[in-house]
Amino acid sequence: MTENDFNRRDFLKVLGWGGTAVALSGCGNTSIQNGEEIITPYVTLPEYVIPGIANYFNTTCAQCSAGCNIKGRVREGRVLKAEGNQDSPVNRGKMCGLGQAGVQNHYNPDRVTKPLLAGKEVTWDQALAAINDKLGGVKGEEIAFLTGDISGHARVLLDNYLEALGSKNHFAYEAVSPAVLRAANKRAYGVEMPRYRIDKAAVVVSFGADFLGAWITPVHFSQQYAQFRKGARTGGRGVLVQFEPKMTLTGANADRWVAIRPGSEGALALGLINAVASYGAKVPADIAAAVKEYTPERVSLDTGVPFEQINKVAKLLVERSPSLILAGDAAEGYAHGMQNALAIAMLNQVLGNVGKTIEAPASLPFPQLAPAVGNRAALVEFNKGLAAGKYKVVFTYAANPVFSAPAALQFQNNFKKAEFKVAFTHYMDETAQAADLVLPLASAMEDWATVVPEYTAAPEDSHADTYVHMSFRQPMMDKLYPDTRGIGDVLLGLLKQRKSDDYKGFDDFYAYLHNAVLKNKVALGGKATDGDDEFWNATVSKGIVPLGGHANKVAAKLTAADIKLPPVAGPDTAYPLRLVPSVSANMRDGRNANQPWLQESPDPLTTVVWDSWVEINPQTAAKLGIVEGDIIEIASRSGSIKTQAYLFPGIHPDVVSIPVGYGHHGMGRYANGVGANVYSMLDPVFEEQTGELALSETNVTIARSGERVIVVKDEGAVGGSQAGRAKIAVQWPIDKVDYSKEV
Amino acid sequence: MTKDIREDIAWAKINQDVLKSLQTPRPAYWVILFVAFCVFSVGLGCEIYQYNMGMGVSNLDNPHAWGLYIASFIFWIGMSHSGTLLSAILHIMHADWRKPIYRFAEAMTTFSLITAAMFVAVHLGRVWQIYYALPYPNERWAWPNWQSPLLWDAMAVFTYLSSSIIFLYVGMIPDLAICRDNMQSGWRKKLYTLMALGWEGTDRQWRNFRMTYLTVACFLIPLAVSVHSIVSTDFSVSQQPGMHVTSFPPYFVAGALYSGCAAIISLFIILRYVFKFEEYMTLPILRKVVRLTFAIAMVWTYLNCVEFAATWYSHDEAEKAVLIQKAIGPYAPFFWTMIFCGSVVPFAMMVKKWQTNIPIMFAVSLLLNLGMFLERWMIVSPTLSHDYWPWQFDHDQWPSMIQWGIVFGSFGFFVILFMVFCKVFPSVSMYEVKEMVYHRSLQSKKAEAEAAAAEGLVGEELAVKGAN
Amino acid sequence: MGVANLLENWSKFRHTHPVDDKGHPDWEAYPSDIKWAMAIDLDACTGCNACSVACYAENNLPAVGKEKYGHGHAMHWMRIERYWGEDAGVGQFNADEGARFLPMLCQQCEAAPCETVCPVGATNHTEDGLNSQIYNRCIGSRYCLVNCPYKVRYFNWYDYPTTQDVWPSPMEQQLNPDLTVRGKGVMEKCTFCKQRTYMARNSAKTEGRPVRDGDVMTACQEACPTGAIHFGNLFDPESQVAKMWKTQQVELDKDKQAKDESSDNRLRGYRVLEYLRPYPSVMYMERVRETAV
Repeated sequence: MTENDFNRRDFLKVLGWGGTAVALSGCGNTSIQNGEEIITPYVTLPEYVIPGIANYFNTTCAQCSAGCNIKGRVREGRVLKAEGNQDSPVNRGKMCGLGQAGVQNHYNPDRVTKPLLAGKEVTWDQALAAINDKLGGVKGEEIAFLTGDISGHARVLLDNYLEALGSKNHFAYEAVSPAVLRAANKRAYGVEMPRYRIDKAAVVVSFGADFLGAWITPVHFSQQYAQFRKGARTGGRGVLVQFEPKMTLTGANADRWVAIRPGSEGALALGLINAVASYGAKVPADIAAAVKEYTPERVSLDTGVPFEQINKVAKLLVERSPSLILAGDAAEGYAHGMQNALAIAMLNQVLGNVGKTIEAPASLPFPQLAPAVGNRAALVEFNKGLAAGKYKVVFTYAANPVFSAPAALQFQNNFKKAEFKVAFTHYMDETAQAADLVLPLASAMEDWATVVPEYTAAPEDSHADTYVHMSFRQPMMDKLYPDTRGIGDVLLGLLKQRKSDDYKGFDDFYAYLHNAVLKNKVALGGKATDGDDEFWNATVSKGIVPLGGHANKVAAKLTAADIKLPPVAGPDTAYPLRLVPSVSANMRDGRNANQPWLQESPDPLTTVVWDSWVEINPQTAAKLGIVEGDIIEIASRSGSIKTQAYLFPGIHPDVVSIPVGYGHHGMGRYANGVGANVYSMLDPVFEEQTGELALSETNVTIARSGERVIVVKDEGAVGGSQAGRAKIAVQWPIDKVDYSKEV
Repeated sequence: MTKDIREDIAWAKINQDVLKSLQTPRPAYWVILFVAFCVFSVGLGCEIYQYNMGMGVSNLDNPHAWGLYIASFIFWIGMSHSGTLLSAILHIMHADWRKPIYRFAEAMTTFSLITAAMFVAVHLGRVWQIYYALPYPNERWAWPNWQSPLLWDAMAVFTYLSSSIIFLYVGMIPDLAICRDNMQSGWRKKLYTLMALGWEGTDRQWRNFRMTYLTVACFLIPLAVSVHSIVSTDFSVSQQPGMHVTSFPPYFVAGALYSGCAAIISLFIILRYVFKFEEYMTLPILRKVVRLTFAIAMVWTYLNCVEFAATWYSHDEAEKAVLIQKAIGPYAPFFWTMIFCGSVVPFAMMVKKWQTNIPIMFAVSLLLNLGMFLERWMIVSPTLSHDYWPWQFDHDQWPSMIQWGIVFGSFGFFVILFMVFCKVFPSVSMYEVKEMVYHRSLQSKKAEAEAAAAEGLVGEELAVKGAN
Repeated sequence: MGVANLLENWSKFRHTHPVDDKGHPDWEAYPSDIKWAMAIDLDACTGCNACSVACYAENNLPAVGKEKYGHGHAMHWMRIERYWGEDAGVGQFNADEGARFLPMLCQQCEAAPCETVCPVGATNHTEDGLNSQIYNRCIGSRYCLVNCPYKVRYFNWYDYPTTQDVWPSPMEQQLNPDLTVRGKGVMEKCTFCKQRTYMARNSAKTEGRPVRDGDVMTACQEACPTGAIHFGNLFDPESQVAKMWKTQQVELDKDKQAKDESSDNRLRGYRVLEYLRPYPSVMYMERVRETAV
């Protein structure tokens, strides 16, 4: 019996229970087999378990919103490691480091294990009763939910619960989210999140879109990138050009990385439109007129990019097509972020990329399962309501606003104004510490869910246009702590308080989900005549349910009227440097900071571990007499933090960058006190058209504090130098090469 | 020119002077012994801590996997060459001025080797499995790895240590008999009786003794040369730049002789003062030792230059980088101190006036040994800080207090052993000094007789002439 | 245990290393049909560190924390190195052509500098071409780490299983039972996921067939989002890795590759520090940079 051999075995008879049946130990779990507790000693193993041989169960990763499909390796009733699911159109068997750390979230020693009411342990019944009690006499508009991205059946239950409460206050908040891009895409292409086809492009020009690192769905984009470099679909190695104020992981992989003045991405895009026209691209007359003044020389002044560079890129865009222009976090992080994004979308339009490398995803046949995607404007609105005392009872889930809200919003104080605050959480993070009732969640490795990711990845076949999928999440093992519950179970419990008739038939979320799946066999790809057990088992064990969606088309909707950029702002003399917060693949918004593998995994660009840092251009640092390790105080109008200096060549001289996600108080032993929280000092500047918190509009001044430390990092004494040694990390420069046939 | 030793010292006086050193020690002895014990305890405590916690407390890391432990190991092995040099090499060369001083030198050899052996244990991550290095019968049919210089070290040092102990002991037998015959009853008498193995001093015994001594001496000389060459192969057989130097075997042997001679000067001066051995450890002998040390210093300096020259004209970029790092990198102060102590300070030993100046020679000898200690360290750490792989360069790694504690503790250990030795066993070889005095007086008498005969002949001629 | 055994092992040892002067290894003396090797495409590697974290998960690597990491005690068997262009001179970094990432792991050298110097023979060469590290034989002399030119060996400077916050309950439940958790004083390094290759070989043997390409993936290869890491049997001409080495004209037992290439079809496979003649089993493919931009 071998591992490979077993995977081909017929799962239909037994699986669907996942690993839960393996290690039951009578701990009160009633989610199996019609509410009966089954104790299975190891003398009588389930027939698919052979000690020493692992079983693999498909599930969905929850470490970020990309929704990669993974399989958990389960031995003797416990999950050990996650691998990618080869059948997933999202990640095709691959995984990122953040996903690997999901097991550390599951086995984390700092998880909350019991409900806490005002700091005291209570039972779930008492907790739910307390909620019911507090909700008594409170009007619907005085109740609010602040969640992160949420989709699938959990979203359905949440929507139903809000409806039952008579509340419309669902704020979907994600500190890291391409919200401005969504709005711009809607305007430009008619869809908020089109399918970006990096693999079909001959040239990708990215304005700060870190698609290999932390942008939208990095594992999927990385796969496309691999094909892009091979030239599998274009017959030539793809060229990547990255324009951004601070180098991201994607920028580090670019053929040409260009530092650009923060905020001027839109101007550069318009300059490129102007330039491609001079190289022979067909630009409609009205648009050409609108960009007339954006000559390479003028744009060069505005952006700091040498005009020869602008011309080179323009020439390349004309000679090699199709191309793909991406607007990333850096481009949208300004008060005029929307305008930047629209200018960049216009460049796509002019180059004819719409429909070639920008495609429309299919529509989800079950819109109620669609993701409620988070953005930062939601936090701002929620905060306003709190400040005005509008909300009496608030719930938070998959969000840590006390940590990630800028101090200028006064969120922590406003939060206190709500009379009863309930936090659904894994850790005693900052928001949980401020909450009145803390409800401990089951980890993603021990929970049921369905997930619909925002970005629709499709397999490359004839059904790509109509392909959309729903992913399953099933427990890899029995719950570690009996008093944790999945969000689905919690919402179901709450719903039963309001609409007991509708939900009394479901003992738990598993039962609810089971029923939902069986009621929709045909829609989920089965036949009406399929046996219930067989269909359920097959569905859950595959983990990915393709749904026949409605094909859409992207449109090229922008007109010259959409081109509007503000004049370049003058220098801020009191705060001469611009702070661009960076998002790293492993740390993201900091929700995974208590997973030690992630803290120990060096930042790919600076190799710093276990701490935050401020990246300073070496020339700027030399002028200010700053050396590596100096503790720098970075002060904005809204606050200041201190952290260690790191001299980084990949950053604009007038920009400093600090990674987000560090500087937790509490949360756990690996996150507490590690680094400084850059969110806290951001200026309250908002994107004009969407109201999004603009992340790159904070001007700062930096000063040495007098302290110096040795930066703990992986690179050695000579930094990234090859010390004149032959053939270590070799780079070969060449013009136009085709690796599609290379073995 | 004063003689190396007074030729009219009565044998009974020799016995008396030397045996006086074995008397109950003065309070100062106990104080120094206590201090040495404290220093050793610090080292012992550090080692216990390191044993329990793991090697990480020494501040060793990747790439600095080796540090002061290896350097000290080699330093102590090096110091041990003094005894062999004096006992064996000079014995074969019939340089009899070694006779009053070789005993303590030989003792120093033995104790240096024991101290060095301790560093092997200290340096290992899993000391409790050190026996894996021995070719003992085991069910896995596993032999140790004969290709490994560390294993050769183990074999060589073990052989050298056991041979040195035998040599020291065998050479002491006639002296132990003297002690036995001159002691009151008590633990000493019992000890000497046991150890003297019934030595009576008969002709037959002396003949056998001479044969044995000579055999072991002849055996010990190549052993000593090979031991330090083998120890040097720890480095020269490796691939690392700065370590991978073909001239290391002779360089290390020269360095060993160098530091051994310097240590002899230090101990010479101390014992001469403490035990009032001025008659035996005379200034002319000191001068000879000093000049010998200078000669070895020049050999060492030459071999250093050979290493630098080879680096300069080679195509080995990594090797050049390491040398430059030694000269101007973070280890530069230690490197230049080593050069100063090893190649510049010896010239003080060529100043005739200073060759017998006790304070100056004492200070010089300590500086020379400091230079030699630094030399061993400068082979280990600069290379590891800047070898082939730029990503792992680490210019900022220094030994922790634990590492220093153990290194200093080893000096305390050595001092304890040596001080106990000096009070239990005669630190001057009585029978050999008697031999030296006898032979020298014979020589002098012969020379006088010849001179007198020459004079007398002339006188006779004159007398004859006068008579005629 | 006898001298005969010693001599036989010695003979095998001398014949398994394909060093240049001996030509191809004398496989009649010691036949093996598997030689594990890797090919890493640096143009596909994005430096994301997924492989490194996957290795931590698979091989029970301890996360040592800030203080110990700062003292150089990190345990990343697979580390991602990031180099900058130095067109203006050594140490003068330019970022405008991006960074160059190099995943560095034990190169499983055929003539490994580490194997010869271990005093107790804790590191040897296996019949499937790996540089083995036998934990329970290791006495921690660290000579192998000193001699490794890549410095890809990692020593257990502390007893991590008993160190606070390394595997606090219930984190120890994540540990992979297919391999040990090492205690203090032991040297460790990448094993090309020995526990997986071992399983694959056993499965193949049970089923009476040779190991097929794709039967086993190392943890790093399995995680890599761009598929930059290729792993397989160099002696199987149908394996991806063998084909890649052949295409790139990199031969295992040469220290200078005589490549037959025309100027516009440069072969970008190379091995690191080849001139030191350790005969590494990892081939890297040069990162490419488009000059038109």
